[in-house]
Amino acid sequence: MKTFAYFDSGHEFPEEIVMAAGFSPMKILGDVHQGTAAADEYLFPFFCPFARGCLSDALANSEKWDGIGVAHGCDATDHHYDMWRAHVMGVPIFWVNTPMKIDQTAQIFYRKELTRFIDNLIKQYSVKIGENELKDAIRLSNQVKSLMQQLASLRAKKDISNQDYFEMTHKAVQMPKELLVEELKTTLADWEGRGPFPAGKTPILLTGSDVTFVEYMELLDTAGLRVVRDDLSLGERYFATTIPDTADPVQALVTYSFDMPRSATRVPSDSRLEYILGALKDTKIDAVLSQNMKFCEPYAMDAVWTVPALKGRGYHVMHFERDYTPSDNQMLTRLEAFKETIQQKGGRQNV
Amino acid sequence: MLAIGLDIGSITTKIAVMDGNDLLDTNVSFTGYNAESAWRKILKDTLDRLQLKESVVDRIIATGYGRNGVGIADKTVTEIKCHAVGARFYMSNVRSVIDIGGQDSKFIRIDADGNVADFVMNDKCAAGTGRFLEVMARALEVELADFGKLSLNARKSSAISSMCTVFAESEVISLISKGEQRENIIAGIHESIVNRLVSMISRSKIEEPVVLTGGVAQNIGIQTALAKKLQIKIRVPDTAQVNGAIGAAILAGNI
Repeated sequence: MKTFAYFDSGHEFPEEIVMAAGFSPMKILGDVHQGTAAADEYLFPFFCPFARGCLSDALANSEKWDGIGVAHGCDATDHHYDMWRAHVMGVPIFWVNTPMKIDQTAQIFYRKELTRFIDNLIKQYSVKIGENELKDAIRLSNQVKSLMQQLASLRAKKDISNQDYFEMTHKAVQMPKELLVEELKTTLADWEGRGPFPAGKTPILLTGSDVTFVEYMELLDTAGLRVVRDDLSLGERYFATTIPDTADPVQALVTYSFDMPRSATRVPSDSRLEYILGALKDTKIDAVLSQNMKFCEPYAMDAVWTVPALKGRGYHVMHFERDYTPSDNQMLTRLEAFKETIQQKGGRQNV
Repeated sequence: MLAIGLDIGSITTKIAVMDGNDLLDTNVSFTGYNAESAWRKILKDTLDRLQLKESVVDRIIATGYGRNGVGIADKTVTEIKCHAVGARFYMSNVRSVIDIGGQDSKFIRIDADGNVADFVMNDKCAAGTGRFLEVMARALEVELADFGKLSLNARKSSAISSMCTVFAESEVISLISKGEQRENIIAGIHESIVNRLVSMISRSKIEEPVVLTGGVAQNIGIQTALAKKLQIKIRVPDTAQVNGAIGAAILAGNI
């Protein structure tokens, strides 16, 4: 199956449309181990290192891809569309604009934008993208989301390492979906047979910038912190909600896009906080680890109000900035100290 | 209960030996390249000085950047907790601890029950740490131990605007070439560190009494600049540099 790569920052890209066109969608995630040297030829080092990593990835691998979609997420993704058109050669690149707001005007705008994207794909690849194709793609996508929901819910009950969860969230956005469904079913059976949540681990909710390399999740596990909830796009944002099964599949995608947990690039932020609070309440956990990758401005600024808002409600919250590097052991002290502060009171703190 | 706290910092290794509630001895040495060699030597030297054998030690807790490399430790605890416990040993009602170490600086807020309520640390940057002072002392050709006293003779503080250690060093060299008085530059360096610390502290909430710990706490210039900037009394224990090790020893005694 042909691969359609995409670059977004908060699960904005409508995978189902390229699936309907007969492609396998694959989220570009860069490779922290390869560094950003290739992109640094075009970009200054004070730009988002993840975005630079994705450009490096595209510069190295675009020949293997049949198309690239860039969806409006944060400012980095917006500007990358133009940069990639200038420097990533040999592959058609498409732009999908997504609204910041969720009002009626935004819905009308987004529907037109999705229709424009569909028309552009039909024109470029001479493919058919009709209602049936879209509905089939939505069904498959919902199957993935449903299985991911089941897997993710086991984190709070079973011994599922952060790395195991990371691996599945990674595969969810990179593997061909038909193969993925089979893998998810096998993994679900495996996870259901695992032992109970380990006594020595502290359950937390992870929020902030997306975690795109497994070493960071390993670091959290080393510190004794087990991610049982999150609102990352490489995580719950991707599968927390399913796409409505309605007669009009384009409208269903609009509704899905507006109903999913919000990222920090979207306004207003209240619904983002509501999702976090709901997740904490549902899972009965008291600790939130908020982090932003260096130069990830949306989450750095978002933390200014989400962190006090969570602390004000009595939750244990720590926020810090991290680097785009697989070796971040300097963070271990504060992660362990965070765990110590949670343990010393055995629950909520009175701030 | 003979308990030992080992604090393996990026620049110095510290040890504290406690027998029950009595602090028997403390010691400091450079960590250097081989942290294991450093903690083994300081442990042996200190026990020799106390005429004690290692076999009589009941518990050891390791803390600091190199804590996970102390194979003989019964447990590792972060320096955040150890500094909080150490500061309470010095002043039981302490509510805020400012620790300035070789590689990081931290602010720890302690609640009325003595728990760590909150903490903030500098982000992977030497500015506002002991390493920053070391680099500046080298540029000014002054012994680090004399830094504090010299700053008290300053007629004014030179403005050091760069937050980056490397750029700040360039700024200091530029000030030297302009003929700026060394004491004024040192006072400016202290102000620069304190400004950075206060910005960091403002992310939490400072409450009195405040205890200053870590190797840099011994610098009278930093103490003075910090008290002036925060407009509060800063308490500095004689054992400021080994405060983390004392906390570790106390925790070791409580296992």
